[in-house]
Amino acid sequence: MAEVGEIIEGCRLPVLRRNQDNEDEWPLAEILSVKDISGRKLFYVHYIDFNKRLDEWVTHERLDLKKIQFPKKEAKTPTKNGLPGSRPGSPEREVKRKVDVVSPATPVPSETAPASVFPQNGSARRAVAAQPGRKRKSNCLGTDEDSQDSSDGIPSAPRMTGSLVSDRSHDDIVTRMKNIECIELGRHRLKPWYFSPYPQELTTLPVLYLCEFCLKYGRSLKCLQRHLTKCDLRHPPGNEIYRKGTISFFEIDGRKNKSYSQNLCLLAKCFLDHKTLYYDTDPFLFYVMTEYDSKGFHIVGYFSKEKESTEDYNVACILTLPPYQRRGYGKLLIEFSYELSKVEGKTGTPEKPLSDLGLLSYRSYWSQTILEILMGLKSESGERPQITINEISEITSIKKEDVISTLQYLNLINYYKGQYILTLSEDIVDGHERAMLKRLLRIDSKCLHFTPKDWSKRGKW
Amino acid sequence: MSKLSFRARALDAAKPLPIYRGKDMPDLNDCVSINRAVPQMPTGMEKEEESEHHLQRAISAQQVFREKKESMVIPVPEAESNVNYYNRLYKGEFKQPKQFIHIQPFNLDNEQPDYDMDSEDETLLNRLNRKMEIKPLQFEIMIDRLEKASSNQLVTLQEAKLLLNEDDYLIKAVYDYWVRKRKNSRGPSLIPQIKQEKRDGSTNNDPYVAFRRRTEKMQTRKNRKNDEASYEKMLKLRREFSRAITILEMIKRREKTKRELLHLTLEVVEKRYHLGDYGGEILNEVKINRSEKELYATPATLHNGNHHKVQECKTKHPHHLSLKEEASDVVRQKKKYPKKPKAEALITSQQPTPETLPVINKSDIKQYDFHSSDDDEFPQVPSPVSEPEEENDPDGPCAFRRRAGCQYYAPRLDQANHSFDNSDLADLDKLRYRHCLTTLTVPRRCIGFARRRIGRGGRIIMDRISTEHDPVLKQIDPEMLNGFSSSSQTVDFSSNFSRTNASNKHCENRLSLSEILSNIRSCRLQCFQPRLLNLQDNDSEECTSRKPGQTVNNKRVSAASVALLNTSKNGISVTGGITEEQFQTHQQQLVQMQRQQLAQLQQKQQSQHSSQQTQPKAQGSCTSDCMSKTLDSASAHFAASAVVSAPVPSRSEVAKEQNTGHNNINGVVQPSGTSKTLYSTSMALSSSPGISAVQLVRTVGHTTTNHLIPALCTSSPQTLPMNNSCLTNAVHLNNVSVVSPVNVHINTRTSAPSPTALKLATVAASMDRVPKVTPSSAISSIARENHEPERLGLNGIAETTVAMEVT
Repeated sequence: MAEVGEIIEGCRLPVLRRNQDNEDEWPLAEILSVKDISGRKLFYVHYIDFNKRLDEWVTHERLDLKKIQFPKKEAKTPTKNGLPGSRPGSPEREVKRKVDVVSPATPVPSETAPASVFPQNGSARRAVAAQPGRKRKSNCLGTDEDSQDSSDGIPSAPRMTGSLVSDRSHDDIVTRMKNIECIELGRHRLKPWYFSPYPQELTTLPVLYLCEFCLKYGRSLKCLQRHLTKCDLRHPPGNEIYRKGTISFFEIDGRKNKSYSQNLCLLAKCFLDHKTLYYDTDPFLFYVMTEYDSKGFHIVGYFSKEKESTEDYNVACILTLPPYQRRGYGKLLIEFSYELSKVEGKTGTPEKPLSDLGLLSYRSYWSQTILEILMGLKSESGERPQITINEISEITSIKKEDVISTLQYLNLINYYKGQYILTLSEDIVDGHERAMLKRLLRIDSKCLHFTPKDWSKRGKW
Repeated sequence: MSKLSFRARALDAAKPLPIYRGKDMPDLNDCVSINRAVPQMPTGMEKEEESEHHLQRAISAQQVFREKKESMVIPVPEAESNVNYYNRLYKGEFKQPKQFIHIQPFNLDNEQPDYDMDSEDETLLNRLNRKMEIKPLQFEIMIDRLEKASSNQLVTLQEAKLLLNEDDYLIKAVYDYWVRKRKNSRGPSLIPQIKQEKRDGSTNNDPYVAFRRRTEKMQTRKNRKNDEASYEKMLKLRREFSRAITILEMIKRREKTKRELLHLTLEVVEKRYHLGDYGGEILNEVKINRSEKELYATPATLHNGNHHKVQECKTKHPHHLSLKEEASDVVRQKKKYPKKPKAEALITSQQPTPETLPVINKSDIKQYDFHSSDDDEFPQVPSPVSEPEEENDPDGPCAFRRRAGCQYYAPRLDQANHSFDNSDLADLDKLRYRHCLTTLTVPRRCIGFARRRIGRGGRIIMDRISTEHDPVLKQIDPEMLNGFSSSSQTVDFSSNFSRTNASNKHCENRLSLSEILSNIRSCRLQCFQPRLLNLQDNDSEECTSRKPGQTVNNKRVSAASVALLNTSKNGISVTGGITEEQFQTHQQQLVQMQRQQLAQLQQKQQSQHSSQQTQPKAQGSCTSDCMSKTLDSASAHFAASAVVSAPVPSRSEVAKEQNTGHNNINGVVQPSGTSKTLYSTSMALSSSPGISAVQLVRTVGHTTTNHLIPALCTSSPQTLPMNNSCLTNAVHLNNVSVVSPVNVHINTRTSAPSPTALKLATVAASMDRVPKVTPSSAISSIARENHEPERLGLNGIAETTVAMEVT
């Protein structure tokens, strides 16, 4: 049993967390930061194997101090200078590798009691810790790895194309932790998921106030009020290129409308882990989806897109704002992005890495789109309907690789009698039909007024 | 059901896939696993995130239930949408326009202050409003201006007054408030702003710095593999191209100048011709007055090579080219180009296999384009091309390249005419450039009057001069001279001496054979005869005090090695630390390299050789030919290469006796004999084993470690070409290509000696020619790298300024 005062960064211990079903759980978590607010200690915890967005500040009451594991002396703890500590989202990988290196065959009895929730992780960690003789070796390897990591990520500037960075450059303790507590945007109060580089003096505010239309940030409600007397925007400051019902899409040029683009990016960064705001927004177009009501065109979500992509990306970042999530808007955004690609006559794919939600959304969209086509195929003159992957790709503008991966994921593709066939099981068909019933929001290509520009001919973006 | 008896084909995206549904569906058990044939597509997620608990749960739920279960979604932090003051905040309504909204960029730039008043400001405003009227917007504009005018340094009140168009009291009040507020504020500005990058790069890792400017870089397409590196390469290429353009333009300018010079020269010559100024007297008169002015222009004479180092040039001021037109004519004839067409013609007519042989790179030829001895056979050469033509095609690839740092003297005046007879310089020239009766060892014959000098590449060049006595001299049997060989004395020779063909108007009275002989005997005529070596007996006549053990043998090649040994024993100034094996192995490598080179050159040489052979007037007069014939014809199978240097010692000895001016050359030359022998020895070893093996062994055996290095660094001018041709022949044999017996009579018209030989030669030459290079310096460099004989030459080149480029 450890004292609260002993808890330092790098400690691991079960932390009380309420799950979606309102049940209490004690997942293993790592202490990333400790702060003292008027004598009361708060601990920033990352739940191991949970996404970073669930990281939070907790009081010591939620910590199971009985099962605390202290970091090794030499263990990498998150440091201010951005050197990687144990990495949220990746402890599994890190630990496993170490165990493999150190003692693949001889598990060492642990000194402390095994952790209850994630025994593998816990024991693995201790296996390393309890081996003084081999510690050095593992540590050496560890530092090698780390130095590599840090050289990969932090010091050098990220690539200039694209809008996402891989996880490596996020090992900085600052960017690993949420810095904005709450954002007020229109009717909504959003709890950010990730770090966002809003001006640092604003990060201490309990609420950051954003203008719903121009997304400008203010430090107080009064500021927002004052701002609204000066800001007469009631829609994103771009050209409307799609409108059907209440749904509209606005196209914003990241070069021509910098302040809006930057504000949008700052907001989006709160919910996109891998998004980088390192460089300016010039090479991007932003497609903002809005929902109209009598107050104006309210932002629902957006996606950004490189004006010229070298890798067939038709989406850079894509986000449905949390209040609108799980209502089909995400799929609408995706569908819209492919509509644009269809107009351009290209196939496209979202920029990588995908987030977990991104992967699910895209998979879902791909599955539904492809199944829609497959099931729509009618047999001609008694022949069995058939289609090539290229045809699917052309029809949908979904990149060939994504088509294949979807077919694989759905387990539709099989090798039968010397050839590949697509099999639509009743299971699949039923599932698809049920899903399509729920998918009410669709893009109507007739409502799209969009002429793609050839950005390469315009000089620089 | 053998399920996996075969491997599924790769998935073809262009191949139609039949779709099976419902009851048509085959039993999936019949289906073959395609895991191997269709690579598993990556999810596109970060690896570590892919394994996250909630995602995995969601994925498996989806796969099981084919739809999302409410409880299986990925949890996210909550969001609320219950801001109750929303309607008060966002006042008014916005009617959706019928048309799509189209926004003009300039509409966005309204002149609204960025600063937004907060509650604190409101308090102040309320207070101020008691005294005067101030609107929030007015206040915001003031603060906005103050903020934007200050950076780290706050604006002063005075500045603020200039900045703000308000009355002083208000300004003072707002200013004071602003200063106070600013001091209390944590941020750098009251208008919260995204941190900007600093130019020094210190903010590169600051997580709060965002939207950095993209530095101007070419957008490259990844799918074209155009990364930054290749972009930089392109830039470099461009730079280099522009440099090339500059250089070419400079060349153009230079060539134009040269043409002008040529035209002027021509004009002068014509004028002189009209004036009948054959002796250059008029010109001299004219020039003396202007000599001061013209001094600078002289080194740039175009077409005289460095054949003639004329002493008079040092005493007199150097001549303008046109000064001796006849001479330059002669010189021009010496150049290679007139022979080229002939040689080519011969190739087509005589050589059966010219096409099959590798084409020699012209530049290769060029760089080996020494003015070797055979260049001097001007009498046989057809008249040169006219000057304009020469201008257009200055010698083609064989053009002589002037080298910076080299001084090229004007052609000798005395060679062309007898103007020096009356000149003060005549005596000096007589001594220095005396042509003497020369006899060659192999074949034993007299070649008439010749003058020995060290050519470029360090070869010994015999400048032959045709005289009226030639028919007579031809009859001279070397044996006749044997009695007084090497006992050459100062002779009143110049009087008997005739001029070149070009100027053969001035005839001397012919001498009869007997007269000549008597002249020789009476030591009035100097006679040069290479010393012959003999293994067995010490020819006292031949041996000088410096070469006590030297033996003379006419026919025995191995004498060379002995001679070499002796030479080295003579203490030829260098002792190296290289072992024999080292040397041997290195030689092998060199030989390998050389062989390739020579294989290329061989064809060329052959053709040249044959061309020479067919020259009707050849009369064996070409010195190179003579030199090649110094090779024992019996050992003409190119094991003779081992012997190449055999004549050297004696020759150089003679030279020493005769001419002290050549002393240091001799010192250099002698060891080179060793090197050459070794060199060719190993060559022979590798290229044609079996032949002359005995001799080789002996040679090697005799050579002690000491000589090896000096030998290498200071190659004998004389043996170099020989060696080369020997090597060529060796290769020839080795290749079993057409081997004509002719090849045995090695033709030294090697316009392209092997590279190594070249290097060596260059060093030797440079030692000889360039005054600032002392042999010792080259030697010291040798000592440093004594186990790398091959590099020695290069080293020497690097350390000295060399007249010839070796690439």
